[in-house]
Amino acid sequence: MIVLYRPGTSLLHRMPAGAKVIVFAALVLAIALTANSVWTLPTAGILAISLYLIASLGMPTLLRQLYAARWIALVMLVTQVFFLPVLAAVSNTSRVLVVIVLAALITLTTRVPALLDATERALAPLRRFGVNPAGIGLVLALTITAIPVIGGFAADIREAQRARGAPVRLQTFVVPLLVMSLKHSDELADALTARGIE
Amino acid sequence: MNGQQEIRFEDVSAEFAGRVALCQVSVTLKEKRIGVIGSNGSGKSTFARMLNGLVTPTSGGVTVHGLDPARDGRRLRRRVGFIFSNPDAQIVMATVAEDLAFSLRGRGLTRAEVDERVASTLESVDLTGHEEAPTHGLSSGQKQLLALGAILIGEPDLVVADEPTALLDASNTRKIGNRLLDEIPQQLVLVTHDLRLAARCDTVLRFEGGMLLDHGDPRSVIARYERDHT
Repeated sequence: MIVLYRPGTSLLHRMPAGAKVIVFAALVLAIALTANSVWTLPTAGILAISLYLIASLGMPTLLRQLYAARWIALVMLVTQVFFLPVLAAVSNTSRVLVVIVLAALITLTTRVPALLDATERALAPLRRFGVNPAGIGLVLALTITAIPVIGGFAADIREAQRARGAPVRLQTFVVPLLVMSLKHSDELADALTARGIE
Repeated sequence: MNGQQEIRFEDVSAEFAGRVALCQVSVTLKEKRIGVIGSNGSGKSTFARMLNGLVTPTSGGVTVHGLDPARDGRRLRRRVGFIFSNPDAQIVMATVAEDLAFSLRGRGLTRAEVDERVASTLESVDLTGHEEAPTHGLSSGQKQLLALGAILIGEPDLVVADEPTALLDASNTRKIGNRLLDEIPQQLVLVTHDLRLAARCDTVLRFEGGMLLDHGDPRSVIARYERDHT
């Protein structure tokens, strides 16, 4: 099971969710805008490692996040080497990996309700234009909390296919995963309505 | 609590894509513990889902505690707590306490009031000490207790449980059954295949083929149901 939030009392855990999102967005922007400097990647890498240590999450958690992003990295790298020099492809992919681990740090150190509240507060001025901040906050919260649920479906499908002695293939994996996810979304919609959240 | 603890169905029918799910059901229920039994696809869940407006009738009228689910759906859903058979579908937040607090969002309560209600609900569903536990790591029984807590925290007048023990083992079935039938103060509509739970209700409704086939004293209704299925 994938657990997103890791309880803790570090500086990053105590930082208000809204401020944390703004700081991390600024860091990501800085990494993107200083792409051509030779210092960008080492600095960003050291920054990411330092922040994981500050958050008392340690290197194993950081490495797990990198491992989870391995397929994204592979697809990025393979597609870029056709058009760019290898060094540029590696550099671009590495920067994206740093951005992914920094983004993961937000969900690892912030409770979902805190993110929900921050989103609602940030979007409150848009209410006069017909935007529903509570609805958008709810979508964000549901997206984050759906990750472990869908991860659980994937594990169930792999287990069921192994139990039947069938090799795990992409097509026999994706279809049941989609069906289970859509069924879950229907049930979740009913459950939210039943809880008076519409 | 609403003094008008009455559920009234008047000639209610429901169709989905040309299939009759409920056919001319008329019944008035004032009992505190109402059991609903019947075969798969008999209309039990459609009946239950009409109680909070998740399903609206094609014809006929439904009144639940003085409110029409089709017209006052939003208001009614705050007064009717609904438990599904699969607790995983009802759990929204990452930890137990967060999920309970989620039910109180938008109700204008202060943080202290929310914390107080979360603490008392945790106690009432035997989950004290699990506040910070990841919700999807709980056992099936604990998840169903959390789902029950998530609706009880909203202080509903009516609890509708649609096969709440379908995925549970004998011990958890007993635990959830006892909690629902013996402990909660609200009126309860319990849809179940577990005839032992149905037998503990004040009245039992039996659905077959979308029709309300039998209704009344639990022992008599269950005896006729068992006779028809042996």
